[in-house]
Amino acid sequence: MTARGTPSRFLQSVLHNGVGRYVCQLKRISLIFSKKGQGSLGVRDFIEEGVVDFAKSSPGTVVYISPQSCRIPKIVAEYLNGNVKEETVTNKTSQEIAELITKLSNQSGLDIIRIRKPFHTDSPSIQGQWHPFTNRPPSIDPVGPQSK
Amino acid sequence: MAACRALVSRAVLPLHYHHVCRGVMLTHIREKKRWMKAYSLIMERKRKMEGPPPPKPRSQQPNFDYHAEVEAFSARLRESFSLELLKTAFVNVCYLRSEEERRRALGLDLETTVFNLKDNGELCVHGQQFTEAFLSDWCRGSFPSLPQEGVAAIVGHLTGSEVMCHVARNLTVEELTMSAEFPVPDETLQGTFFAVIGALEQSSGSVQARLFIRDFLVTQLRGKDLFDLWEVVDPMGLLVKELTWKGIALPEPRLIQSAGASTVLPLYFVGLYSDGKLLAQGPGETVLAAEEEAARVALRKLYGFTENRRPWDYTAPYEQLQKPSAQALTSG
Repeated sequence: MTARGTPSRFLQSVLHNGVGRYVCQLKRISLIFSKKGQGSLGVRDFIEEGVVDFAKSSPGTVVYISPQSCRIPKIVAEYLNGNVKEETVTNKTSQEIAELITKLSNQSGLDIIRIRKPFHTDSPSIQGQWHPFTNRPPSIDPVGPQSK
Repeated sequence: MAACRALVSRAVLPLHYHHVCRGVMLTHIREKKRWMKAYSLIMERKRKMEGPPPPKPRSQQPNFDYHAEVEAFSARLRESFSLELLKTAFVNVCYLRSEEERRRALGLDLETTVFNLKDNGELCVHGQQFTEAFLSDWCRGSFPSLPQEGVAAIVGHLTGSEVMCHVARNLTVEELTMSAEFPVPDETLQGTFFAVIGALEQSSGSVQARLFIRDFLVTQLRGKDLFDLWEVVDPMGLLVKELTWKGIALPEPRLIQSAGASTVLPLYFVGLYSDGKLLAQGPGETVLAAEEEAARVALRKLYGFTENRRPWDYTAPYEQLQKPSAQALTSG
């Protein structure tokens, strides 16, 4: 769809993250998988090999493992700003799931939609934003072309 | 196939069936369910009548372990809280009262079941005093010429419920708060956040607590204008007062530029001159509005709260925090 038809936002961070200290924005990650289904094989392998390392490397994220009888294994990631992201990981390998989880933990929770400008600043101008009356000698007469 | 099944069902009642609701009888068959459409329509109508379900606190939804969450809270902020103090900081008085009532209503004997939770009242008061003291010191240090009312306005804005609740919600303080109502009311949330700061001060010391307040509350000043936080009704009067106090000549307003005087959007630039030198100039739709804006610009320049001021240096080590006057030269 066009730019007007899809949502968009400006470049921003949650609570000016990074200005003061960096806070990992991922607060909770839940691995929902089945103990016997073949689609959850990758998830089961990841839980055997990689999940403990991930949990140790990001102490600010709580990892929940919930084996349920489900046909499609899911990873539910919750972020500090309240957004919840669900990813289905059916038939993914353990390596792919590890990469996916790293990607989720590096994201801030803001929506993945078109970013209008790739920059943002709180102090857009140091010497003062130019307007047509900058550098114009003061005069009480109404505006007209300057005689040089 | 369907016709003979219909004959059978009218003649003989199936073995396993039950009435789901009026108009829908559920029989277990493996083909397309005839009751499904009627049932879905009834449920849809019910949902539309009742509206959306009330929000449930995160602690009552699946996958929530309180102790793990509290530990993660402490690790996420890179602070080492004492977990006992932190858990006490999250307990509110209203929660204790509602729990006691619930236990009494359930008939539990209050002597046998020991209810061993302390509430966060003292931590809250302590945290609030500490925060306000530090923020006032920081303000006075980084804007030395800002008068007392300005400092009070900035500190009031930063410790007010809007900013505090916004910060608390984005740090998961709301999920860990134990309070009687959900969604947690703003004052309770603000009190809980103060209590968390109090707990941090008591566990890790005032240095860490000051760095915490700097990193989460002072950053909320970015992009804000002084007169959005501090309501000044008469900027010209305030400017005259400031200049007489400094011993500078009083400001004289002069019209610098005018454009479109007879149109719907006139523009006037008024400059304030003291002793022949330009203090500040400001635009406005009428000459009076432009004069007021010029006074505001002059005040912003005087107090060092302009938009193009040097931003506060968050990488400075703690010694700089203790002597905020040293950073005042690069007025943050």
